[in-house]
Order: sequence, then C-alpha cells, then structure tokens
Amino acid sequence: MTAAFTLNTVSHHFDGAAALLEVSLSAASGERVALLGPSGAGKSTLLALLDGRLRGWRGAAEVLGVPLSVKHAPPRDLRIGVGFIFQEFALVERLTVYQNVMNGRLARMRTWSSLLGRFGDQDHLKVATALEDTGLSGLARRRADQLSGGQRQRVAIARCLAQEPRLLLADEPVSSLDPAHAERILGLITGAASKRGIGVVFSSHQPDLSRRFADRIVGLRAGSLHFDKPSGQVTSDDIAELYHGKVSDVGLRVVS
Amino acid sequence: MGRGLVWILLALAILWSVTSAEMGLDKLPGAAARLGEFLGRMMPPDLSVWREVMRGLAETLRIAILGTFFAVILSAGLAVLAAETLVPVAVWRSVRGLLAMIRSIPLILVAMLMVGAVGLGPLPGILAITFHATGMLAKFYAEAIDNVAAAPVAALESAGASRAQQLRWAIWPQMAPVILRDTVFRFELNLRESLILGIVGAGGIGLYVQTYVRSFQYDKAATVTLAIVVLVLASEAVNAALHKRFS
Repeated sequence: MTAAFTLNTVSHHFDGAAALLEVSLSAASGERVALLGPSGAGKSTLLALLDGRLRGWRGAAEVLGVPLSVKHAPPRDLRIGVGFIFQEFALVERLTVYQNVMNGRLARMRTWSSLLGRFGDQDHLKVATALEDTGLSGLARRRADQLSGGQRQRVAIARCLAQEPRLLLADEPVSSLDPAHAERILGLITGAASKRGIGVVFSSHQPDLSRRFADRIVGLRAGSLHFDKPSGQVTSDDIAELYHGKVSDVGLRVVS
Repeated sequence: MGRGLVWILLALAILWSVTSAEMGLDKLPGAAARLGEFLGRMMPPDLSVWREVMRGLAETLRIAILGTFFAVILSAGLAVLAAETLVPVAVWRSVRGLLAMIRSIPLILVAMLMVGAVGLGPLPGILAITFHATGMLAKFYAEAIDNVAAAPVAALESAGASRAQQLRWAIWPQMAPVILRDTVFRFELNLRESLILGIVGAGGIGLYVQTYVRSFQYDKAATVTLAIVVLVLASEAVNAALHKRFS
C-alpha cells in the first residue's frame, strides 16, 4: 500500500513558540487516524501542514506521493486530492446548500463555465451523491445561514466529499456537537471515507469516540509525538498522561 | 462636574442664538396668515404646465442616474485603495481621508463650482452628484470588501479553486447584496439632492421651483411640488422593496 502521507522530523514555530517539534509520522492510504492531545498540542498545525497551508516549517513532508514545499502552496492536483473539513465549517452564508457543495468541485471544472455558473452533468451528479450521503437532499435549496449547527457541519462534509479527495482531513469535526450528534458525524465522515476507500485524519478531544472510529490514535503533547498506537491498544492511562502529564501526578492531584 | 457644565454651555448657546441674531421675531405673529394666503394661492394647482414639469423631472432623474453610474465606477476603483485588508495602511488611510473631505463639502457648493467650470445645464449637476456621492459610496464599498469573511475563501483555496473562482463563488456572494443595497440607497439620496440643483443652474426640476416661486406663480409651483412628492415616494417604495429582497 502507498502512504497517504509521510512526515520526517517536521518542526514549526509560531512567534518563537514550538507548535510542532521533530514530528515523524506516516499513514497508509485508507487508514483512519485520530489526533488526540490538549489544546495547543499542535493538532491543528499538523492538519494545516498536511493540507498544504503551512509556510516556513522545517523538515520533509510528502502527501499522496507529492513533496510539500516550505514556501509555496501545493499544486492544484494535490489541493484537490486533499479534502479539509474546517472546524468553523467555512460556508458562504448567503449561498444555498447546493451551491456551497458545488463549490467543492470548482477546481475540477473549466474556468469560464464555472465562473458563469454553468456546471456539468457530472458535477450535478457528484453534488447530488454528496448531499444524499450526508442526508441533506431535502435542504439543497436552503441558504447556509438558515441551518442549524449540525446541518452546517454536514454541508461542510458534503462539500468536501463532492471534491472527491483521496485523503480526508478534519479539524475537530465534533467539538461543537452534543454526544449523539458527535457520534453520528464521526460515523458519517469515517463511513464516507471507507465507502470511497480513502484515508481520514481527524483531531478530537474525545478518546472514546476516537477509539471507535479510528484505526490508529496519535497522541500529541506540546508539539511532540507522545504515543502512536493502534486504537485497541490505547489505555486510559495513556489518555490521562497525554492530557494531565504523569499518571502519578494525576493521583496526587485527586488526593489533594 | 462634566454633566452640569454641558447643560450650562447648552443653555448659553441657545441664549446667544436668540439674543444676538437679528431674527425679526416681531414678524412671527403675522406669519400664519401669510402662510395661509400663500397656500391658498397654490390651490388649485395649475396642471397646464405638466409638460415642462415632466421634462424637468426627467432631467433630474437623468442627472441622478448618470451621477450614480459614474460614482459607482469611481467608487469601485477607490474602494480597493480604501480597503484595510487590501492595501498598506498609509494608502487606505490617506484615501479614506480624501473621501471624508469630499463628503464634508456640501453638494450645493460643489454644484456652484461645477457651473462655474462647465456652464449651465445638466452636466455640472451630473459632475457634482458624481463627486459628492463618491465620497460616501467608495467608503461603503471599502467596508463591504473589509467585511468579507476569510474562512470560506480559504476553504475554496484549499479545495484547489483558482483565484477567479474564489472571487466569483466566495467573495462576490458576500459583497454583492451589500453593494447593491448601498448603491440603491445612494441613488435615492442622489435623486433627492439633485431636485435642488436647478436652483444654482445645474439642471433639473429645481429651475422650475425657483422660477415659479420667484414669479409668484404659486399654482404652478404646486404642480411641481406634487410631482416631486410622487417621485420621492415612488423611489422610496422601490428602495424598500429592494431592501426586503436583498437583506
């Protein structure tokens, strides 16, 4: 199997503070990886790097077989190949659900017809499939600003699926949802990826859901790799240590 | 101490205005009767002048339309230079300063200067409206540019969309309704303000208001007034309908 991505001693600093510190990590294509770790651990930075949006980092990185540049945005093919579900959904509020999802396909169209809003049969078909997969078919004509949080989240997912990526990235896709919705959304994302045979990397603060929906869990702490294990082997001690430091410290804190 | 001082200053200002201006307050008691007589002479309105009135109104409308049109073109260019998110701070600050200065010059003054420059007729009116409206529209457009949310644009960039596609499907949909609303609002203002341009010889219906009142033909002035009221109400109705549609 080819690798979905390979990172070799990647570091990145924001204003002198380390966001990523010598991280080496790779994933096979089709693998489902969850990133866990406290806020500021570097999860979002790692995902932005994989999406080709980070500049000025150090090390070596390859996504879908294409080396990433430290200075320049990735070529169009790679940007199409990597789909990103943004934490705040990043929808165009005044456009319909349908058009927001269609926006995911722009890069695959001829420029002039896309600017004139003349979309091809293939594009309409892919949008319809993405809407169906996310249960949005009935809301296609609704404006994005008239939707609930969960619905907006699904539009963001549908836009990403319509893009037909070969790797799916999601930055805390369920952080703003209640437990029942969180489960459904993670199931939706990982299920859609499995159906298409593509890999997923998502960040989360929910160890139990991550264990259920990922093959592998990567623990990040202060920009460094803390652990990297198959989901089944991650213990609650691993999680406690990741979020609170040494397990003995947690014990002490509880006693005092 | 602050609040008491403000009230005292306010009272002094009003007292100063009453006592020092030669207002001729003694003329006030007879005013109601004279106003009544004046209104009486407007009745019934002399509708025989409707052809001239329509011609004047059409000219005013044309001044407002062309003035708005040229102001939109100028503002589109200036707005880019006045947008905080697009150009260096030194540039947008000086352009906004210039726009504030333009806004501070009263339209009637601009119109008089333009009449001096290009002579009588609708042309100085169009130029004056263009100049005056640009001061406001360019600022509004710049704010529309600055208020575009960056996240949806970044999302399209991440999905591989070109710059032109991002502009068409993420930036423009955010700006278009705001720009349309601001432009229609400005057109309505332009229409109202251009009604008086004729008084200084800058074209439009204002000339007839001036002529009929000065020559004591109040019944004809009444026709002009009626026509203006109808035009303003109609433009307000159109504006309100558009507002509802594009909020």
